[in-house]
Amino acid sequence: MKAVYIITLFCLLLLLAATEANNRRGPVMPGPEPYQLELPPGLPPPAYDFSQNPLTRQGMALGRHLFYDPKLSRDSSISCGFCHQQFAAFGHFDHALAHGVEGRIGTRSVPTLFNLIWQKNFMWDGGVNNLEIQPLTPLTDPNEMGMDLGALIKRLQADAGYRKMFKAAFGTEEITSQRLFRAITQFVATMISFQSKYDSVMRKAPGVAFTPEEQEGYVIFQQKCAACHREPFFTDFSYRNNGLPYLPNLNDVGRMRITGSTGDYLKFKVPTLRNILKSSPYMHDGRFIDIYQVFNQYAHGVQQSATIDPLVKNGIALSGKEQRELYMFLNTLTDPGFIANKAYSEILIQ
Amino acid sequence: MRKFLVYLPVVCLCLFLVAGTPPVATLQLQLTHVVNGQPLVLQSGSYTNAASEAFNITLFKYYLSNFSLTTVGGETITLPPAYFLVDEGKPDSKLVKLPAVPPGAYRSISFLIGVDSVRNMSGAQTGALDPVNGMFWTWNSGYIMAKLEGTSPVSKQPANLIEFHIGGFKGARNSLRRVQLTFPQPVRLTPQQAQTMQVVADAYAWFQQPNVISFQQVSSCSTPGAQAMQIADNYQHMFSIKAH
Repeated sequence: MKAVYIITLFCLLLLLAATEANNRRGPVMPGPEPYQLELPPGLPPPAYDFSQNPLTRQGMALGRHLFYDPKLSRDSSISCGFCHQQFAAFGHFDHALAHGVEGRIGTRSVPTLFNLIWQKNFMWDGGVNNLEIQPLTPLTDPNEMGMDLGALIKRLQADAGYRKMFKAAFGTEEITSQRLFRAITQFVATMISFQSKYDSVMRKAPGVAFTPEEQEGYVIFQQKCAACHREPFFTDFSYRNNGLPYLPNLNDVGRMRITGSTGDYLKFKVPTLRNILKSSPYMHDGRFIDIYQVFNQYAHGVQQSATIDPLVKNGIALSGKEQRELYMFLNTLTDPGFIANKAYSEILIQ
Repeated sequence: MRKFLVYLPVVCLCLFLVAGTPPVATLQLQLTHVVNGQPLVLQSGSYTNAASEAFNITLFKYYLSNFSLTTVGGETITLPPAYFLVDEGKPDSKLVKLPAVPPGAYRSISFLIGVDSVRNMSGAQTGALDPVNGMFWTWNSGYIMAKLEGTSPVSKQPANLIEFHIGGFKGARNSLRRVQLTFPQPVRLTPQQAQTMQVVADAYAWFQQPNVISFQQVSSCSTPGAQAMQIADNYQHMFSIKAH
């Protein structure tokens, strides 16, 4: 009789112990450390949903490692950072069109990378609809990194160093494309550029003011540019035909390829003007090396077509003096702290 | 009394195991692929489409998602989110294990061919939705809802390829199609016994009706648009339930 009670008690204890063991997850290990991204005040909430991919120090470190690792390309020759150079605000300095493995050349220029968490769509035509999957395009494009996604995941899984880093970032050694994309997203999400002279002036930081020329340039900007290059992002994130002459040998129809609508013929994303003087060349095909070529394009070079934007239809008159003032203003949009920020700088991949 | 006490530990254990989990039943779909009644055999099977053109199939896969069941009483039970990539080349993928179903008597099942718009816009996914499965467009974000590849002597493509990648989830280019299949007789699901429905998918339907597709005219489709919509309108009729 007593034995029955003892067995019952034992069973109950066993259950309790099993529940306890379930609640614990192996030996106690420090998990990924949460990271709070500091955002400048007064901005709208980010478009990117961090709830599925909260920032952690280990996740960001893994993303940075992946960003600078040439092993992500088919022949291990090209990393993300190969084309996205920090000193060019993560654009490709002096390269009109994107480069890739085996000396291949793409059809569009490399966009800058910063303030991406406020963007809803990516690429010059807005074809990519989420920051997380943006890297999929350059990774797999034969003219860029030319890598098969499945082969890349296998390559990373075979790398003990990466297994360790994925465990640190996500809790287990499992390497999936979702974790790869989320880690890269964690790194690029931290690229925030709101520390230019313009920002200091707007914040009324003590002792900072526009020079008279910069101030004149700001007025010209507000009158002639700001409708599309809207503050504070210096883009309204829309797609427009800015009258740039069509080049038959590139035959780039722009956003029409994405929407299938003839109304989107020759429309491209309005790029931000932040860090613009650091991120030459200009336009979706990088055809202009110098910002004055851009000014002259708007002043004299607008090509008429069915989808031309009404705001540039008649050109944008800019005298020599105005161009110089505009240049001085655009110079205040350079964020030296961003370009020199050690948190984003290239790391040597062993 | 003494006897009861002897069983007490067992009763105790059973109570612990049962408590807290509502009864659920298991329903599976076993898919069989055919072409106009003939079994679908990748590569070697030779078929004729509704336009009387010969063709073979080298790849056949599609997404199923957003399942719901209708009870004999007319109530619709929406099942928890689940995404399946059915692939003729992967026999395991042709057995679709639906998420937990409440026990009951059901008269029909409904599902989407493809991946709903929300998941098309929610960033990096995993499992069946992992882009590693080759069912995601990189240049114009979105899932390929269904893929059929093969060859036809009348195709003007290189190597006589036929290639149909059907996708698009926005507005007038939304290729998502909902399928409703009524069971031959009501299906009674109990927690004790897993039920497996035999579902046939006929690839012939892709090119049959309402839009007869001639491979001489149309041998590939790999963007969202009118052509994809026509084929989606066709393939939404490809499923049927095999009576026992």
